Amino acid sequence: MSDGAVLAVRDLSTVFPSEAGPVTTVDGVSFSLGAGETLAVVGESGSGKTMTFLSVLRLVPPPGRVTGGEVLLEGADIAALPASEMRWIRGAGIAMVFQDPLTALNPVFTIGDQMLEVIRAHTAMSPRQARALALEVLERVHIPAPAKRIDDYPHQLSGGMRQRVLIAMAIALRPKVLIADEPTTALDVTVQAQILELLAELRSELGMGMVLITHDLGLVARYADRVAVMYAGRVVETSPIAQGFGRSRHPYTRSLFRSIPRLDLPADQPLTVIAGQPPDLARLPAGCAFEPRCFLGNGREDCRSERPALLPTTSDRHLSACPHWRALIDAEAGA
Amino acid sequence: MKPPADARSGGGEPLLRVEGLSKTFHDRRLFSRAGGAGVRAVDSVSFSLAAGETLGVVGETGSGKSTLGRLVLRLVEPSAGRIRFNGEDITALSQRQLRRMRQQVQMIFQDPYGSLDPRMSVGAIVAEPMIVHGLWHGGRDDRVLEVMRQVGLQAEHRNRYPHEFSGGQRQRIGIARAMALQPKLLVLDEPVSALDVSIQAQIINLLRELQQQADLGFLFIAHDLAVVRHVSNRVAVMYLGEIVEIGPRDALYSSPMHPYTVSLLSAVPVPTVDRERGRDRVVLHGEIGSATNLPSGCRFHPRCYKARLKAENPDVETVESQGERLPAACVLHQPRPVDAGDGHVAICHFPERGGDRSEVAVRAVESSRGAG
Amino acid sequence: MSAELAPETTAEAVPRGRAVRRALGRYLRHPGLSLGLFVLVLLSFVAIAAPWLAPHGPTEADLMNTLAHPSGDYVLGTDQYGRDILSRLIWGARISLEVALAVVALSLTFGSLIGAIAGYAGGWLERTMMMGNDILLAFPGFLLALALVAARGSSLENVILAVSIAYTPRVAAVMRSVVITIRPRPFIEASRAIGMSSSRVLLRHVLPNALPPVIVVTTVSAATAILAEAGLSFLGLGVQPPTATWGNIISDGQGFITSNPLISLSAGLCIAITVIALNLLGDGLRDTLDPQMRRYTGERML
Repeated sequence: MSDGAVLAVRDLSTVFPSEAGPVTTVDGVSFSLGAGETLAVVGESGSGKTMTFLSVLRLVPPPGRVTGGEVLLEGADIAALPASEMRWIRGAGIAMVFQDPLTALNPVFTIGDQMLEVIRAHTAMSPRQARALALEVLERVHIPAPAKRIDDYPHQLSGGMRQRVLIAMAIALRPKVLIADEPTTALDVTVQAQILELLAELRSELGMGMVLITHDLGLVARYADRVAVMYAGRVVETSPIAQGFGRSRHPYTRSLFRSIPRLDLPADQPLTVIAGQPPDLARLPAGCAFEPRCFLGNGREDCRSERPALLPTTSDRHLSACPHWRALIDAEAGA
Repeated sequence: MKPPADARSGGGEPLLRVEGLSKTFHDRRLFSRAGGAGVRAVDSVSFSLAAGETLGVVGETGSGKSTLGRLVLRLVEPSAGRIRFNGEDITALSQRQLRRMRQQVQMIFQDPYGSLDPRMSVGAIVAEPMIVHGLWHGGRDDRVLEVMRQVGLQAEHRNRYPHEFSGGQRQRIGIARAMALQPKLLVLDEPVSALDVSIQAQIINLLRELQQQADLGFLFIAHDLAVVRHVSNRVAVMYLGEIVEIGPRDALYSSPMHPYTVSLLSAVPVPTVDRERGRDRVVLHGEIGSATNLPSGCRFHPRCYKARLKAENPDVETVESQGERLPAACVLHQPRPVDAGDGHVAICHFPERGGDRSEVAVRAVESSRGAG
Repeated sequence: MSAELAPETTAEAVPRGRAVRRALGRYLRHPGLSLGLFVLVLLSFVAIAAPWLAPHGPTEADLMNTLAHPSGDYVLGTDQYGRDILSRLIWGARISLEVALAVVALSLTFGSLIGAIAGYAGGWLERTMMMGNDILLAFPGFLLALALVAARGSSLENVILAVSIAYTPRVAAVMRSVVITIRPRPFIEASRAIGMSSSRVLLRHVLPNALPPVIVVTTVSAATAILAEAGLSFLGLGVQPPTATWGNIISDGQGFITSNPLISLSAGLCIAITVIALNLLGDGLRDTLDPQMRRYTGERML
C-alpha cells in the first residue's frame, strides 16, 4: 500500500491471558491510512475493532499485552517509543474520540479546565494562550457562544454538545490521525448526522486521517473511503468503498448486509439470519473463524483446517480472507 | 405479519386501546413541590392495537416512548387517561386485580444482561412467572422445556446461569420468560438494540414466528427506524411525549406528513453507496428539548425546517422567536390532527402533503421507498 | 424452527460435578479466605472438643501452684488461683465463638430485614426507619452495649443481646445502601412485569442479590463482637467470673502483667488471631462470593 500513509500498521497482535489460555483479541492486523482519508472499521462486539486501536495507542488494559507488530506514524515506528514520548503521541499525533461522551468527561471540572489540561500537557502554552486555543476549537466544532460554554460543567451540556467538546479536545493539537470509536452510538439519529457531518468537515479542513469504528453499514456508505471488516480479531476483508461496498468478497460481510433491515429495500424483504453465535475467542476453530456460521463453507475441508490469509481478489485493493470468494461472484451473476 | 387489522371498524374492541394517556413526573424533593409543573413524559397519547398486529413506536431519547410502554403495563402509574385491555378498563384496577391482566400482557426488555436475575438458573427464570401466578403444579417441567424449545434454547441450558450465555441467548431467555404465561400482548422495549448486528435478525425472526403462532399483539418500541419498518404494521412517531404522527407503515414511510418524521427518515444512513452519497439531509436545529420546559405552540417548532421554510413565504404571518422569524401558528398555537385517511394522522400546522409538500421531504424519503 | 437458528452457548457444556469442584477450587485458591477459614475451623473444633482437649477443668484450682510458670503439667502456667491457663483459653474459645455466632445471626436477620424493607419501600417508611437507625448508629456501639448491660445486669445472654443491638443498625445501613443499588436494576422491573408482588420481589430477587456484601460486613462485625465481649468481660460487665472467657483471662492477668505476662498475652493473642481470621474470611468472601464481581474480575483477567 501507499508509502505516503500517515498511519501504517503491520501484523499487530494483542493477547490477553485467561483461565482458558491466552486469548488473541487482535490477530495480525495490518492496514494503512492516508492523509485526508477515512477508513471505516466494521465489526461486532468482540471482533477486536476497538482493541486494535487501543493497541495502536498502547492503551491496552492490563493484563492484555501487545505481542507484536509495527505501528508507523508518518513513517516512524512508534511501537517501541518510551512511555513518555507515547503520551505525547496520544493527542498530538493520534487522538481518539470515544463512544460515550458522558463518561469520557470528568463531571467535577468545567470543559474549559479539561481542555486546557490536555492542551498544556502537550504544549508550552500559557494558560491565556491555551484558553484562546480552546475557544478557537470550540468555535470550530460549532458550539454556539463558546465563550459562555467553556465554563460549563459536562452535565450542563446535551449529549451532542458533549461529543462536540470531546471532538474539540481531540483536534485541539491538530493530530495527524483521529480515531472515532462509535462516536454516535450513544446519540440520537438526528444528532448523529450532525456529529458525523462535523467529523467529515474537520477531516478535510485539517487533512487528518480518520478511522471510523462503527457497526452501522449506512454510516460506512456515507462517510468512508475504505472499509476494513473485522471478525474474531482479524481483518477479513478490506476494500475501497466506491468499488467494493455492496460487492463484498467475503461471506461474513455478505451475511451482514443481508441480515439488517434496510430502509432502501422493500419493507417485507426477509432477513437472512447468520446462524450461531458470535465467536468465542478462547475457543476458535483451527481453520477459518467464520466457518461454523458460513453459508459458503458447508464443511469444505480447507476452511476447517487452514486459517485463510488476507489476499487480493478482483483488484489488489480489494482483499479478502476467503479463498472461495469467487463463489460469491458466481452467485451474484446467477441472481 | 398479517395486514393491519382495522381496529376502528365495528367488529368489537381492539386488544389494547389507550385514550389520552399521560404521565407527569413530579419532583419529589421536599421544598420544590409547589412551583414545578413536573416533567410531562407522556402527554395525551391515544392509539389502539389489534390482536396479531404490531404497532411500532419510534422516537429519540426523551420522547417518552419507554414510559409509554411501562404505562401500558402499569409498571408506571398513569397521571391521566384510560387503558383498555380486551375491552376492560384496567386503569383503575388494584395491584391485586392487575395480576390477572399481567398474565396476558408481558414485556421484553432492552438489556438482556440486566433484566435477568444473575443468581437464578435459566429453568428457574422461565418457571418463575408460572409459580407467581399459581400455575405451577408439579410436572410443569415439560412446559418450561416447551417454552425454551419454542425460543430456540436447548433442554440442557436450564441448569445454567445467565452469565454463561451470549447477548442473543439471554434475550431468548427473556422472551421465554415472557411467553411462559401465553400472553396476548407483548410490550417490547428496544428488544434488539443491545444485540450484535448478526444476532438482531435471529431475534426479529423469532419474535415474528411467535407472533404468528399465537396471534400476539406487539407494541414494539425502538429508536431504529429500519427495524421498526421491518416489523410493524402501523407506526407511531413520538416527540417530547406526544405522538406527532401515526399511520400504516407504508404510508408513513413513503409519504411522511410531519416534518419530524421527515427529518428522522432523512437522518438514517442507508448502506448503498450511490444512494447514500447522493442524498440531501435535513439537518435539524439543535437537539430534542426537555420535557420539563416544553416549547409553546408546536413542540417541534424550535427544530423544524418546515416552519423556517414557511416563514419565508410572505403570506404566512410570522412572529419573532429566539431570534428567528417563525410562523405565528407554530410558535403560538398547538397544532390539530390532520387526517390523510386510512388512519394516517399527524399533528402539524403545515404537514407535508399534497401541494404543500416541500422539496426537502420528497428527497428525504426517496431512500425509504425501497429499490424495486 | 430452522436448523440455522440452533444456538450454541458460549461456554462448552461443563458437567455439574466439575463445575462444583471448580467453584470450590476458586474459594480455596484465595489465600486469605482459606487461611481465615482454616483458623476458624480449627478454633471451632477446639471449642466443641473443649471437654476432651483441655487438660484441666476451666475452674479447677490448684492452690499449691498459683501463678506457676509454664511446665509439663501447666503448658502455659496458671493464674493466681492456680487454674490452668491453657484449659481456660480452650474453654474461653467456646464463649467467644458463641457470642460471635449469636451476634451474627441476630444482627444479620434483623439488620438485613430492616435495611431491605427500608431500601425497597422508599418514601416516608424509609426515611422514618433510617432516622431511627441513624440515631442508633450515631451512638458508639461499645457505649450502647455498656449501657444495656449496666441496665439489665451482666450475663452471657445480655452481652449477646447488647452487642447485637449495637451492630444491627450497621448491618441495616449496609443492607439499605445495597438494596438501593439493586432496586433500579432491570431484572427487578422485569419481575414486577411478570406480576410479582413487592414482598415476593424483595424475598426472591432483592435479598439474595444483596446478601453477599452484607455477609462480608457481618463477618467483620463478628470480629468486633468478639472484641466487645472481651472488652465487657475485662471491665467486669460481661460474663461473670469464674467462667472462663478471653476477656476474663486478660482481666485476671492484668495484675501480674510484669511477673506473669503470659496470662494476659496468651488471651490477647487468641483474640487477635480470631479477629484477623474473621477479617481475612470477610475479605476473601468479598472477593469470591458475588458472581457479578466474579464475572467482572474474570473479564478483567481476560
